[in-house]
Order: sequence, then structure tokens, then C-alpha cells
Amino acid sequence: MSATGIGAAVRRKEDQRFVTGKGHYTDDVNRAGQCYAYFLRSPHAHAKIKTIDSKAAAAMPGVLAVLTGAELAADKIGNLICGWMITSKDGSQMKMAPHPAIAHGKVNYVGDAVAVVIAETLSQAKDAAEKVKVDYQLLPAVADPAKAQGQGALQIHEVAARNTIYQWHLGDANAVGAAFRAAKHVTKLDLINNRLVPNAIEPRAAIGEYDAGSDSLTLWNTTQNPHVARLVMSAFVGLAPEHKLRVIAPDVGGAQNRPAGKVGGRALRGIPHRCPWPRPCHARGDGVRRRRQDHRSARQDHRQSRRLYVDVFVLGADLSLRHVALRPV
Amino acid sequence: MSAVALTVNGKAVTGDVDPRTLLVQFLRENLRLTGTHVGCDTSQCGACVVHVNGKAVKACTVFVWQIEGANVTTIEGLANPNGPLHPMQEAFREHHGLQCGYCTPGMIMTAVDMVNRKGHDLDDPTIRHELEGNLCRCTGYHNIVKAIAAGAKAMAKGHAQHQT
Repeated sequence: MSATGIGAAVRRKEDQRFVTGKGHYTDDVNRAGQCYAYFLRSPHAHAKIKTIDSKAAAAMPGVLAVLTGAELAADKIGNLICGWMITSKDGSQMKMAPHPAIAHGKVNYVGDAVAVVIAETLSQAKDAAEKVKVDYQLLPAVADPAKAQGQGALQIHEVAARNTIYQWHLGDANAVGAAFRAAKHVTKLDLINNRLVPNAIEPRAAIGEYDAGSDSLTLWNTTQNPHVARLVMSAFVGLAPEHKLRVIAPDVGGAQNRPAGKVGGRALRGIPHRCPWPRPCHARGDGVRRRRQDHRSARQDHRQSRRLYVDVFVLGADLSLRHVALRPV
Repeated sequence: MSAVALTVNGKAVTGDVDPRTLLVQFLRENLRLTGTHVGCDTSQCGACVVHVNGKAVKACTVFVWQIEGANVTTIEGLANPNGPLHPMQEAFREHHGLQCGYCTPGMIMTAVDMVNRKGHDLDDPTIRHELEGNLCRCTGYHNIVKAIAAGAKAMAKGHAQHQT
């Protein structure tokens, strides 16, 4: 059905495979000999990792490797970066703490990955993950953003005093000041910005495959930006030079405002060295755990990642109650 | 490991699987029928809907051994692979009832079951109520509802070769 002329309806071409169930989403990809990765995640909001004993897990049927932050560091895998750096109003750069793909030394949130189990089947990986013994030393945790920025709150990252990574503003301070002075009425408001949890209907997944013959990596990922993913994996995480790293974005089930932050899982797909032989490695939450894994690993919008983001604002209004100025207290 | 035998899209299949294997895993991984999708871990999203013995079932909530001997139809089996689309599939395409396509197989399978139970003349409130078990993150549902209403009517025109 061809469409010509202004105003003609142009039918999408991709619908044919989507309505017949023949789409190629990342989890649909099946590489010969692929193995599966399952992440063990911290149940604690803030804790020191004292020891990780993976001997029992590594001996379980089908297990190929159990990797932790220690192996990541030994293999010199680079830390994850933030895709969008903000400059604070005083001109300083955003305070970025080092962020490895698997936690090393300390976990900073419930869901922080502490180990990844790689096995022949996902069930084997999950069964073995239950046998990984992590000895945590609990640390005080704070989940309220206002308290986290308050006096005496425990500092989570060395670089971020008062757990504040940036202070940003937008607007014309002088004009706003003048508008407030001239306003007939000024009132204080508590404005709530809810926490955002990105929820595309396709849970995130990644498959990494290493080809020894050409010493190159291929990564399938639920990304809408494969070129940036390749740049980051190459230049920052250091998996391979760009010409030896191919990132494929197959059909993707939405992005739904997942911010340009960090994605840990995909960095791990390209670690061939530790496996006994290079095998394609497939990572996604299994049918049962998928959505929970997705929530815990996706870097939620830092600007909004608060359970209850209550800000006190001052609002100025003129005689006819039109808003003339807005400023945080 | 447990042995299972069932019929999927008209073909007899068997498997020897971990008893924890869900129907959706069996379809996707053992049979490589990847049209049925997993979008959640709470049985809420409906991306996994298939027909088991003629009824819509969420494949993520059933162990494959639980439906031993059953007749399963997935999105791949709705229409003949070399033939025209099923009227409901055609309606989704015609009415732009999809964007990323991830929820679409589940939506279509639910829609066909809806018509089987509620008939060919479906009004908006009925469709929306019957879609409670299916989530879409792209479309806002509006065109899905239109597609289902149109697909329901088109199914009445008697496309005998489709297995609904």
C-alpha cells in the first residue's frame, strides 16, 4: 500500500513484525552457546562489604564464574559515568563519586550489585547466587532527602558534602527580586516532586559476545542510543577500542524517560577474560525477578530520586492573583 | 527435571524441564517462540498473554507442567504464517494501536479472547475494563481501544481460516 501526496496516511513498516510476534527485542536474541548472568544485590541501604565468599556458589552445577567488585578492579574495568554533567550555580562541576558496575567496598543503596553469577542457565545462576555469602557491616542509612542534606547527616560519598552533588538554578535573580518587591501578596508553598522510576515495558537486557578470532566484542542492548553506549563503554569503561566494539540496538520496548545516567549491567557483558572460555553472556532479570532487577539497577533520575521531594517555595502574586515570581526558600 | 507434552500452535511438543519453568519461559526459550514477552514480575503487565485451551492465560503465572496436555496458541499461531494477518492484527496496524510493539502480542491475544467472550460489538467502557490486565507504556491506550473495536467487528465477517 503506497502512500503519495500531502495528507496521505503513511503506514509504519515495523508493525508487520510486531503484530505477528516476530520482533527482535534484546531478550529474543539467542547466541549459540550463550550463558546467563544473574546479579546478587544488596538488601541493605548502606553497608560495608567485609567479605564475599563465593566458593560454594562457584562449585554449583553449571556455574562458570562468580565475579565481584574485586575482579572488576583487578581487570581494570573503568567506572560508570554520568551521561549528563550539571554545573552548579557557583560554577563548580557536579560532584561525581566513583561508581563501579559492581560495588566494591561499600554498598550505597538497596539493590546495589555486589556480585554477578554466570552459569549455563539462568536457574543455575540464581540457585548459585543464593549460595554466595556476603558479610556486611551495616552502616546508618538515610532515605529522606531533606534529612540527608541536613546538619549531621552521614556523608555517603567522600566528594559530596551534605550529600549534595549539585545546586542548580535557572532564571534572572534580579528580575525575580524586583517582582517580589512589587508583588501585592507573597506566600510560602510546599511543592512536592515525586520520585521517578523509569518503567519502559521492556525490562533492560544485554548480551555480550566476544570473538577471539578478531578480538572484538559485540553488545546487544536495550538502548536507544547505541553510539553513545559504545563511546562510553570504550572510552570510559575501557572494554575495547571503539573499532573493536559493536553495539547493536535491536527492537526496543520503549525508554520512557529513562535519564541519561549510568547503566551498570551493560558494562559487565563485555568481560570475557574471567570466563573459562569466551562465551556469549546474556543478562536480564529472569521472568520472575525482571521488573525488580530493573528498578534496582536503573539509575533513577537523580534530580528527582527522592521518596518525597518537598521543597519550600515562595510565590509572589499581583492584584489579580497572577503569579509573578517563584523562588525556592 | 520433569517431562512435559503439549500442543503449541497446532504442533505437538515435548520437553524435559526444571519444574520451576514457567510457560512463558518454555515458549520463549525451549520453543524459541519469542513473540510472547515478559514485561514485569508481578503478573500485571499482560505482555505474556497466550491462549490455553481457548482461554486467555498469563503465561508468566503458570508452570509449564501445570498445563500438561493442553492446547496453546501464541501470537505466532494466530494467523497462518504465509497468509494474511488475523483481523485483530490487521486492526492494530490500521489503527496505529502500537508504537514499540512490546505489549502488542499480549494486547492482541487478550483482544481476541475478549471477542470470543463478549461478542463483536464492543463499546469503549467494555474494552477498557477488559484491558485491565494489559499495560502499555507508549500509546496511552486510545488507539488500542479503537483497534480492538474495529478488530472485533472485522472478526464478525467470518475469516474461517483463522483459529480463534
